[in-house]
Amino acid sequence: MTEVSRRTLIKATGAIGAAILPAVFETANAATPAGAELAATSSICAAAAAATTYVFFNGEEAAFIEAAVARLIPADDEWPGALEACVPNYIDKQLGGAWGAGERLYRSGPWQPRAWTQGYQLPFTPAELFRAALGEINKELSHRPFPRMNPEEQDSYLKKLEAGGKDLGGVPSEVFFTHLWESTVEGFFSDPVYGGNCNMVSWRMIGFPGAYASYYDLVDQHGIKLDRVPMSLAEDAHGHIHLNPGIPARSP
Amino acid sequence: MAETLKPVDVVTIGVGLTGSMAALEMAQSGLKVVGLERGAPRFTVPDFQSPAIHDELRFSIRKAMMQDNVKVAVTFRNNSNETALPIRRWESFLPGQGLGGSFVHWNGQSFRAQVADFVWRSHTIQRYGQKFLDACGPELTIQDWGVTYDELEPYYDRFEYLCGVSGKAGNIKGQIQPGGNPFEAPRSREYPNPPLKETYFGAIFRKGAESLGYHPYRNPPQI
Repeated sequence: MTEVSRRTLIKATGAIGAAILPAVFETANAATPAGAELAATSSICAAAAAATTYVFFNGEEAAFIEAAVARLIPADDEWPGALEACVPNYIDKQLGGAWGAGERLYRSGPWQPRAWTQGYQLPFTPAELFRAALGEINKELSHRPFPRMNPEEQDSYLKKLEAGGKDLGGVPSEVFFTHLWESTVEGFFSDPVYGGNCNMVSWRMIGFPGAYASYYDLVDQHGIKLDRVPMSLAEDAHGHIHLNPGIPARSP
Repeated sequence: MAETLKPVDVVTIGVGLTGSMAALEMAQSGLKVVGLERGAPRFTVPDFQSPAIHDELRFSIRKAMMQDNVKVAVTFRNNSNETALPIRRWESFLPGQGLGGSFVHWNGQSFRAQVADFVWRSHTIQRYGQKFLDACGPELTIQDWGVTYDELEPYYDRFEYLCGVSGKAGNIKGQIQPGGNPFEAPRSREYPNPPLKETYFGAIFRKGAESLGYHPYRNPPQI
């Protein structure tokens, strides 16, 4: 799959859920040239990505994740990719938090072979799963670490993981790849409050308007172009940042 | 140490769709009712207000409104040759928890069952013959419900008016209504609310179905 078709695919799948046409990049300040605003967005994201403080990944693990997400959703001439959108930071914070520790994951036995229809049946929490698999990968690639491979080699290695049949410290490689891919997509498209989708770049890319309160007046206006600036959970309708104790999670 | 509370007439186990409506009916008839619910109390404001309620990672992906699999696990298998294993994360079905239960997160689609649904055994025999049922062997346990559609119709009607269901009737007392589902079981009157606005995808689907000679009609949601 080429980069162009991969990007097109992501735009298409994103737009299906959002039910809107891809938007032209535009901000509240109509006088700002779109290109200048985009450049500013990219540099903000690049700075944020560079400043990631990892709380879960060690240096080797972070290097693999950064290089891998940059191949799964690569940047192109127009838009940042997963690396620039702070996806490694998202994955790191997820794995270092409650989800990584197995929140809402039933972890008692029995442990036995499953039919594929029976869902996840491994004893690993997400944090344990990444740690086991990344440890095995980095051990295997100690002479030629993944980040130092060229993009074609990296793609070929990721495809081998995806194809499966490889044991990564007890984790089947296809299971690890699925977790990696899902986390990358989540980090790229989730609200920025979770640490990825820096500056809402993916939403700007697909024309998703974000967390507006209501579309009641627009729902039967078919075929119009929606080019609002997207809105994060962290903002109110006027773009002000507000503190809501219910975000991102409140325990019962 | 157990604490003895003042006795009440009725206790509902759960305050979801069924429990809350039963409690309302009984309280209105003068009974003292207590509802028991696990999980957090939740109310339209602040728990379901915008923008927090639009958090797709929290609700759609991590399933924050659903039962905690660590505390509640069920096992599952597709057929009797498989070993049933725990559902470790909800995927195919989503039991809710907290005040309101699954009523809080369901999609609100309020379809009535068809006339034949209540008499499935008799209907199948009438349509395909007793031999058809016999050929299915002893594991076929199909039965009629014991109540008919006609007997339940007043209660469907009452429920739809209580919840304010939106829709377009297709059959009022046997008269087919344009714009509704012409195949639905007869209802005693129109829906309490008109259909919702038509979405973009809904319009595409309606036009496509109409052009193929089908009878598309509007979903009846409780919104």
